[in-house]
Amino acid sequence: MAQSASVEAGYAMTKKLLGIDDLSIGLPVYADRPRAVSKVSFSLNEGEILCVVGESGSGKSMIANAIMGLLPRELPVLGGKIDLQGIDLLTQTPAQLRSLRGSRMGMVFQEPMAALNPLMRIGDQIAEVFYVHGLPGKPQQIIDLLRAVNLPDPEALIHVYPHMLSGGQRQRVVIAMAIALEPALLIADEPTTALDVTTQAQILNLIREIQRRRNSGVLFITHDFGVVREIADRVIVMKDGELVEHGTVSDVLKRPSHDYTKKLLAAVPKPNTGAPRPRSERTILKASHLRKTFWRGNKEVAALNDINLDLRKGETIGLVGESGSGKSTFARTIVNLIAPDSGEIRFEGTDLHSLSRKQWKPFRKRIQFLFQDPFESLDPRRSVGDIIAAGPMAHGASAAEARAVAKEKLRLVSLDPSALDRWPHEFSGGQRQRIGIARALAMNAELLIADEPVSALDVSVQAQILDLLEGLRDKLGLSMLFITHDMRVAAQICDRIAVMKLGQIVEEAPAREILSNPQHPYTKTLIASVPGLSGESANHRTVEAL
Amino acid sequence: MKSFVRRFPRMAIGSAIILAVIAMAATAPIFFPFSPWDMRGSPFEPPGSPDFLLGSDALGRDIAAGIAHGAWVSLMIGGISTMASLGIGVSLGALAGYVGGRVDDAVMRFAEFFQTIPSFLLAILLVAIFRPSIFSIIAAIALVSWPPVARVVRAEFLSLRKREFVQAAEVLGVSHMRVVWQTLLPNALPPVIVLGSLMVANAVLTESALSFLGLGDANWMSWGFLVGSGRSVIRIGWWISVLPGVAIFITVLGLNLLGEGLQTWLNPRLSKRDMP
Repeated sequence: MAQSASVEAGYAMTKKLLGIDDLSIGLPVYADRPRAVSKVSFSLNEGEILCVVGESGSGKSMIANAIMGLLPRELPVLGGKIDLQGIDLLTQTPAQLRSLRGSRMGMVFQEPMAALNPLMRIGDQIAEVFYVHGLPGKPQQIIDLLRAVNLPDPEALIHVYPHMLSGGQRQRVVIAMAIALEPALLIADEPTTALDVTTQAQILNLIREIQRRRNSGVLFITHDFGVVREIADRVIVMKDGELVEHGTVSDVLKRPSHDYTKKLLAAVPKPNTGAPRPRSERTILKASHLRKTFWRGNKEVAALNDINLDLRKGETIGLVGESGSGKSTFARTIVNLIAPDSGEIRFEGTDLHSLSRKQWKPFRKRIQFLFQDPFESLDPRRSVGDIIAAGPMAHGASAAEARAVAKEKLRLVSLDPSALDRWPHEFSGGQRQRIGIARALAMNAELLIADEPVSALDVSVQAQILDLLEGLRDKLGLSMLFITHDMRVAAQICDRIAVMKLGQIVEEAPAREILSNPQHPYTKTLIASVPGLSGESANHRTVEAL
Repeated sequence: MKSFVRRFPRMAIGSAIILAVIAMAATAPIFFPFSPWDMRGSPFEPPGSPDFLLGSDALGRDIAAGIAHGAWVSLMIGGISTMASLGIGVSLGALAGYVGGRVDDAVMRFAEFFQTIPSFLLAILLVAIFRPSIFSIIAAIALVSWPPVARVVRAEFLSLRKREFVQAAEVLGVSHMRVVWQTLLPNALPPVIVLGSLMVANAVLTESALSFLGLGDANWMSWGFLVGSGRSVIRIGWWISVLPGVAIFITVLGLNLLGEGLQTWLNPRLSKRDMP
């Protein structure tokens, strides 16, 4: 704590730290709305964690940047007041702001690798925080900081470069830098979004622990209600630059008053509680002893290490794992974008791996792929109609037939057929993912490999796409391999869940069983790390909190 | 139109210059309905004299007629040779980038072979071997200027191949030819268009330099020839060399502005200077 604050520690719990009054931030003229943030007011007390929740484009990060004085010139503050411990931040000169950053307010960013200088040793980077504020920054202080963020072996770590650390360790270093000068206010802008779920749980614990130990105020920006449940004292909900709801965490989560909040909460994926669907006898896809090794530099990485999987007709198997577990490699191996080193993939009895490009072609109709990023997976220079028609045309349909198919499939995914002649960039992320689904279904595929199809989407859009996929699956009798890092999404849509770790499937069972009674220790960790679940038995937690 | 000029000033100025040069080339037979090689009066008339707007040269030929007719030659050689080298460069670059492996190695070593020889010397050599004619000049310029195109297209293809929308086409069962034509080429084209406009400028310069050295086609009056012909008499008639030189300068400037403007227009993220 800063000296002045520690004197006041006696009544610090209720002392107001940050006050924002009627803050408005402008947008450039060509934007879709006049203001990024419009007349937002709230306050943050010492020793409190305030979560700012909203979907992308809601203006939540703009508030953080306005407080830090990091808004670009195109986004001017139009009015209002930001008051930090009696200092009006909007009237400070750039030099004054620089001295306040770090000392009074620290910030943790979403992407830890981008926030660290790749050419500087960890110790020097943290020391720099002291230097720029004219302080000595003794080695012992830096080691203590690294220890405070629970990094192992801090004495050795100060000599290490950022690329040698894992994502979670990097984020700990960023947090260490943010708290180095003991700022009263810590702003965390989606600090765990880029991290794996188990790492996310650790970082959330760390932030909570630091906040309690130092009685600092935390402004925590997130899009994830699970994270909110885990960490927040109070919550504000943002929509299109406006504050729509404000209250304590239990009020907002249990008794949301604004329709938008209700909608967001309803969109959080929930485990399917209906009767389990019967499992077909017929195997549609069978992978056995699949292996694939990559070389990273001179290190061998086993992306697939003896994978066995049995997908039945009409079934949806969720493949859950953290980044680097090999789940995307597996998906791409099935559609022959990556060739496995050894093993078999049989689709209705035919070994796909041994086929030539020409022999593969008939299977292209029957096995389709859904990509993660709806902004990456559609060709920006072709119209939506051409994109969807490409498949049928590659298999011999005439242009007119293919266009008719494209029209029909657009209806199937609830898009207007007028979309045919428009361009991908005219659509939102969710609409683009619908176009991706229409493309995958244009040839009446039987098996759909979906590689994180909803991870890049906002929660409300995610819910719509999951509903759509579920509906199509039932209507068309699709079999699906659904790859995701999010256990909650898998629990909603999948019949069975396979958990992947370091190229191996460590556990595979019906979704309900995995959630209520995980066997493998890694599955247990994974389920325990899902934000929004804490305490109680796994079964109770999933039903109650998800 | 006004907002276009304000948003892309380079492109507006560049296209205005090039359009003016094209207009000059197109109207040359109207304003100067005679061969630029004709001797039409006394030699060494300075610019502004009654018979010669821009003066006459050592043999009494009209400089203005030479510049106007020469514009056509410069632009045609620049345009055709650029088309030809884009043709070679795009096909070889696409082949290397799409097939990869040994084909890629072979094509790139072949391109490097051309790049290790100074391209102007190679052009002189080729023109000298094949006899100076308009065809050998175009062929020589095309042959020495394709490697950068091949490199750009190859690099674009390599990065595009990893993009999800290209993988999507692959998963749909689209044939190799269609993937290249419909998916890869249209996306690889913007940098090639920019490069192309700069290559026209370079070709105009190369042709001028060849003509200056006396390696031009004797049937066609070109700017380089005019500059070269005035070289020995520059102390008597400076305008004979300088005015065609100014024409070259303005045209090349216009092409460069156009290229830079296209760059901003097609790829706004690379350069923010021209954006609002």
